[in-house]
Amino acid sequence: MKRWASSATLVLLLSSPALAQPDTDKEMGMPVGSSVRSESGLPLIQATPGAVAPSSASANPILHVPVTDLHPGNVNFAPRIDNPLADDPNAATRGMRDFIQFNCVGCHAPNGGGGMGPSLSDRRFIYGAAPPNIFLSIYQGRPNGMPAWGEMLPESTIWELVSYVQSITHPSGPNFGKTISRSPLSPKVQQTPAEFLQTTDPWGFTEAFSSGQPPNGD
Amino acid sequence: MRSTVLFASLAGLALAPSLAGAQEDLQKLSQDPKQWVMASRDYANTRFSPLDQINASNVGKLQVAWTFSTGVPRGQEAAPLIIGDTMYVISPFPNKVFALDATTGDLKWTYVPDQTRAAQGVACCDVVTRGIAYDNGRIFLVTLDNHVIALDAKTGFEQWATKTGDINLGETTTSAPLVVKGKVFVGISGGELGIRGRITALDEKSGKIDYIAYSTGPDKDVLIGPDFKPFYDFMKGKDLGVSTWPPDAWKIGGASVWGWFSYDPQLNLLYYGTANPGPWNSNQRPGDNMWSSTDFARDPDNGQAHWAYQFSPHDLWDHDEINENVLVDLELGGKSRKVLIHPGRNGYMYVIDRQTGEVISADPYDTVNAYKGIDLKTGRIIPNEELKPDLNRNVRNVCPASPGAKDWQPTAWSPRTKLLYVPHQHLCMNFKTSEVGYIAGTPYVGATVDMFAGPGGYRGEFMAWDPVQRKKVWSIKENLPVWSGALVTAGDVAFYGAMDRWFKAVDAKTGKLLWQFHGGSGFIGQPVSYQGSDGRQYVAILAGVGGWPGVVANYQVDPRVRNAALGFAGATQDLPSYTEGGAELLVFSIPKEEASAAPPPQPKP
Repeated sequence: MKRWASSATLVLLLSSPALAQPDTDKEMGMPVGSSVRSESGLPLIQATPGAVAPSSASANPILHVPVTDLHPGNVNFAPRIDNPLADDPNAATRGMRDFIQFNCVGCHAPNGGGGMGPSLSDRRFIYGAAPPNIFLSIYQGRPNGMPAWGEMLPESTIWELVSYVQSITHPSGPNFGKTISRSPLSPKVQQTPAEFLQTTDPWGFTEAFSSGQPPNGD
Repeated sequence: MRSTVLFASLAGLALAPSLAGAQEDLQKLSQDPKQWVMASRDYANTRFSPLDQINASNVGKLQVAWTFSTGVPRGQEAAPLIIGDTMYVISPFPNKVFALDATTGDLKWTYVPDQTRAAQGVACCDVVTRGIAYDNGRIFLVTLDNHVIALDAKTGFEQWATKTGDINLGETTTSAPLVVKGKVFVGISGGELGIRGRITALDEKSGKIDYIAYSTGPDKDVLIGPDFKPFYDFMKGKDLGVSTWPPDAWKIGGASVWGWFSYDPQLNLLYYGTANPGPWNSNQRPGDNMWSSTDFARDPDNGQAHWAYQFSPHDLWDHDEINENVLVDLELGGKSRKVLIHPGRNGYMYVIDRQTGEVISADPYDTVNAYKGIDLKTGRIIPNEELKPDLNRNVRNVCPASPGAKDWQPTAWSPRTKLLYVPHQHLCMNFKTSEVGYIAGTPYVGATVDMFAGPGGYRGEFMAWDPVQRKKVWSIKENLPVWSGALVTAGDVAFYGAMDRWFKAVDAKTGKLLWQFHGGSGFIGQPVSYQGSDGRQYVAILAGVGGWPGVVANYQVDPRVRNAALGFAGATQDLPSYTEGGAELLVFSIPKEEASAAPPPQPKP
């Protein structure tokens, strides 16, 4: 049922390439200097039909999840919210399919190496590494380029993506930081590249760092 | 916001008299050795400076005159412009523009566009810009979020701003605009996000869109009409921009325009190349996919196409052909021919008759195994069938890799040596296609790519090419891809920058290294040369590594994941051990006493 919902969204998009065509022709091409526009350059969002109570944080604990380590008065009441799929052994595999199907892979790269969007492979999460942080980053989007997926993906799909992201990020090591050096070589390893191996556990398959030369399989 | 606009308009009015003076002829202005009035220096895209105060014998004494920070440590690909005594510099996103005294470095004004930060999320390969344009007292910039903006060159006040693309369709703008006959020409980027490529011509005075010429779709949108006479038969027919695609695929077929415009005032033809078809997974788009990976020659007055040449029908490897077209006249077979030299991304150096679109010669200038050559009878490139990228097949060791033998980084042409100076990369790759669905505003790629050094283990080269003899005259192998542009001067010195932070001057005749400077960050910018108000010759370039090969060093990209950054991380994964991102304009000159002791100007070629 959940899977059906997400596939249906995609099918709709695929069958309507015309959707891609600018409906904004009226807006585009017109000098913008004198017209009112939102910060994003797009028309201001209209009030949503079906008003939502302005503060329903008590009903939605996830709204209490902070996206910073700073808490005024040193009062930290961040609720512990785990991934509801944490015990589902197949969630990461489904998340890997979602990651490809919804083009996450195009920005964050195979195995989350990063490119257009930041890496997910190295435990460096700008907006928090806890499962609800990752959920909210996908759901709400983030201002420097992460799209808001909340209206497009069912929450269950987003949690599958969270499972996958948790699965591909590097386990914490013993050191506080990392060293970059050519001699002695650091980092020492690279992942087996994705053209050879598609896996939810890319850090389980590594080889010697090849410094721009062909991967070890070649 | 409104008051600012009003103020800007008033300022524009107040200065109107000075602008209303005699119309400047940009073509003429570009011939003044002291200035550098467009990114490529002239309409022919030569990047040749006629200044010769700095020459092979004294370039070793070059030293820093002044520096300036653009404040944004991302890829600095832009060319500074020098108009009169003023230098204009644009930063990567958020695309601030700075006016500086070209001799002293004093800051005159700063312009800060108010663009959306979200644009960064749909820029495929770092948040770069390749430069700005100038004409008739105005500076023109294009923001990453697709606003074309005119500024009063004296004051920096905004005169108009026009939106020419939509980030929610995956559109950004990274190329430098060019002004021809009162029209500002801009391209569009997003070939990795299923956009529909095009150029837009805007009136330089009002910012009103004059016309749009699409790269795909029916002839009426591509501006193909009675004037269109392609040289080869495979490009003849009605609405090929529709029929060479699966139904409706042309609407999301890429063929963006993010490279260089050149212009021949005598023939009145505007030249530019289009990018790869989308998605990269070629199995999803059977057909020639016109007019992707194509050179167009158009009448700038109405945009009508006069000829086209598709370098790579049904591109398999992301071999865009947005690379520059350098307009030169060559003695070929005993007669002078008006040609354009197009150093192809696909690894072939094309010499093309710029009046007709006939390919005169096409020779490989780097390792090529993706193709077997070009059939000069049909004009079609011959793909290597053994490397066919069937769905989910990991095709190993394809050369050149996706960024090609040369990407955007522009060459320079010296009329003195009659050589083309070519900065480029030397990379091969593994390439595996997969099915991809189109979701507006997200990547539409469908390929897993892993790039690495080509045969010999080196990753870049700076070389001189003789287009008449059709061969390399000299070559400098570089450890990393050479992602900066080239400059050559009448002092017979060629300049380029390396990603490992070295900015280099070499003898234009022999390639001998004459001088080098270790900058604060790797170089991917465009070197320029000009004469200051103190009579000295200067050389300027922005330092600050980035771009497609450089995000691994200036952004959060994991060098241990080879497929990161659309596969470029594999080839430059050690870049962070040489450099971080940077944002520094470097301006060099030789000491005053040396400059005045420089030999008299050399004879014209």
